Amino acid sequence: MKKHSLIRTGLKITGLLLTVLTFMIIYLPILIILVMSINDSTRGFGWEGFTLKWYMALIVPSAYPEMTALPNLIAAIIDTLSVAVLSTIIATILGTLFAIGINAMNKKRRVRMVVMNNIPIVNPDIVTGISLLIIFSLLSFSLSFYTVLIAHIFFSIPYVVLSVLPKLKKLDPNMYEAGLDLGCSRASGIWKVIIPNISTGILAGALLAFTMSIDDFVITYFTSGDEYLNVSTWLYTVLKHPRHFTPAVYAYNVIIFVITIIIIIFINNVRERKEKITHEKTI
Amino acid sequence: MKRLQRYSLPYIAWMTVFALIPSLFLILLAFSDLSLFDLGSFSLTLQNFSIIGLDTTLKAMQNSLEFALITAVICFLIGYPVALYLTTLKEKTRKILIALLIVPLWSNMLLRINAWEKIFTPSSIFTDIFGISFNLLGEDIAIIIAMVAMYLPFMIFPIFSVLEKLDIKLIEAAKDLGANDIQTFFRVIFPLSAGGIVSGTIMTFLPAMTAFALPQRISLGKTTFIGNIIESKFRTEVMDFNGVSINQGSMISLFLMLFSVTAFILIVRFDKEGETLI
Repeated sequence: MKKHSLIRTGLKITGLLLTVLTFMIIYLPILIILVMSINDSTRGFGWEGFTLKWYMALIVPSAYPEMTALPNLIAAIIDTLSVAVLSTIIATILGTLFAIGINAMNKKRRVRMVVMNNIPIVNPDIVTGISLLIIFSLLSFSLSFYTVLIAHIFFSIPYVVLSVLPKLKKLDPNMYEAGLDLGCSRASGIWKVIIPNISTGILAGALLAFTMSIDDFVITYFTSGDEYLNVSTWLYTVLKHPRHFTPAVYAYNVIIFVITIIIIIFINNVRERKEKITHEKTI
Repeated sequence: MKRLQRYSLPYIAWMTVFALIPSLFLILLAFSDLSLFDLGSFSLTLQNFSIIGLDTTLKAMQNSLEFALITAVICFLIGYPVALYLTTLKEKTRKILIALLIVPLWSNMLLRINAWEKIFTPSSIFTDIFGISFNLLGEDIAIIIAMVAMYLPFMIFPIFSVLEKLDIKLIEAAKDLGANDIQTFFRVIFPLSAGGIVSGTIMTFLPAMTAFALPQRISLGKTTFIGNIIESKFRTEVMDFNGVSINQGSMISLFLMLFSVTAFILIVRFDKEGETLI
C-alpha cells in the first residue's frame, strides 16, 4: 500500500512539472511579443528602453514615416479584419444551415456528412491552399481579396458545423414540429424555435471562425495575389526584407489578443448567468 | 424535421467544387503535362515523377518526416501526462487551465515563430537582461523546440477531452476486480483514450510535417521541408510562368495527401462524429 502511494505522489509531481513546462514554453513567445511591443528598438534585437510609440503608430500612422512605407501594415490590418468579419458572418450563416440539415438526417447519412465536413479540418493547410489555388485557376478567378474571402469561408464552415451540431443534438425535435403546428412557416420555425436554442453553439462557432481567419497564413498565402496582403502574409514578406519591418505589428497583436480575451470572458459570464437563471427556473 | 435535410444539400455541392474537383485535378496534373494556366490538349506522363528522385526532394521528405515524428513523440510524452494531470484537478482550476492553453493560440502564428527567432538569436533580449544567450538559430533542436511549443496544445486537447468523459465506474470496476493502479491505467484508462491519442498525434504530426514558414525562419533557410519545395513550385517559380513546376509541385503534394488520407481514415475509425477535433 505504501509503495503505491509513493508511486502516486511521484506521478502527480511529474504531471505538475510537465504542466508547468507546457505553460512555460507556450507562453514564452507571447511574453516576447509583449516585450517587443514596448521595446524602443526598430530591429528588435535586445532591449533598448520602454516606449509606447508602436501603439501610437497604429493610432496615428500618418505621423510615423515607416507606417506609410510599402508594403503597408495598416492596409494589411484593414484587409485582415475585413476578410475576417465578412467570412465569419457568411460561414456562420451557411454552417448553421448545413448543421441543421445534417442533424435532420438519419444516423448513417449524418455520420457520412460529418466525415465530409471534417476533410478540411484534418487536411494540412498547405494541401487546402493548393486545392483552392487550383480550383480558382480552373474557374479563371484572378487571385484577389475575393478569392481569399472564399477560401476563409471554406475553412471556417466545418468549425461552425462542429460547434453547432452538439447543441442541435440536445434539442428536442418535437419543439420544431410544435412550432410548425402552432402556425410557424418552415423558415420562421428555424428562426424562432431552433436558432434561440442553439445560439451558444453558433456564437462559439463564429468566434472560432473569426480567430482562425485573423491568424491564417498558409491558406491566404496560396490564394492571394500580389495586391492582397493580410497581417500574416505581410509579415512573411517583410521578414525577408527587414527594411520594411515595423514593431507596430507586435502592438497590433497585443491589442487583438487583449480584445479576444475580453470578449471570451464577457461571453462566458453571460452564459454562466443564463445557465444560472434557467437552473433557478427549473427548481 | 426530416424536411430540414435539404439545407445540407448545397454543402455537398460546395464540397464537390472546393475539395473533390481540385483533388482529382491535382492527380491529373501530377500525371500529365497539362498546363493549369492554359487548359488544352495534354498527354499522360510519368515525367513529373522524377522530381521525387532529386536529392533535394528526398532530403526534404526525410526532414519533414523526421522532425514531424520527433515533434509528435515529444508532444505525446509531455501531453499525455499533462492531460491526465488536468483531469485530477478541481473543475474550476481545470477549466481555467484549459482556457489558458487556448489563449496563446490567439496570437498570430508567424509572430510566434518570429518570437522564437528572437529567443534563439545570438544576442537576444535575454542577453541584455539576464546575460544569457541561447544562440540556437539554424540548429535542429531549435526547430524541434519551436514546433513542440507550437503544436503541444493540439495533443493535449483531444486526449483531455476523452479522459474527461471516461466513465469513473469502469475504473472502480477494475479496482473491485483486483487491479492495482498500474494495471488499471494500462488495461482500462490507456486503451479507452486511444481515440484522443490518435487525433492528438495526427493534429501534431500533420501540421509539423507540412510546415514551411517555421523551418525556413528558425533554420535560417538551411533545413528544407516538403512545404518549402511545394511553396517554391506553386508560388515563386510560377511567377516566371514555368508551367512544369506546377505539375511537379502536384506530384509532391500527392505524397503529402497520402499522409492526410491515412490520417483521415484513422480519425474516422476512432472518432466518427469528429468530437475530438475541436
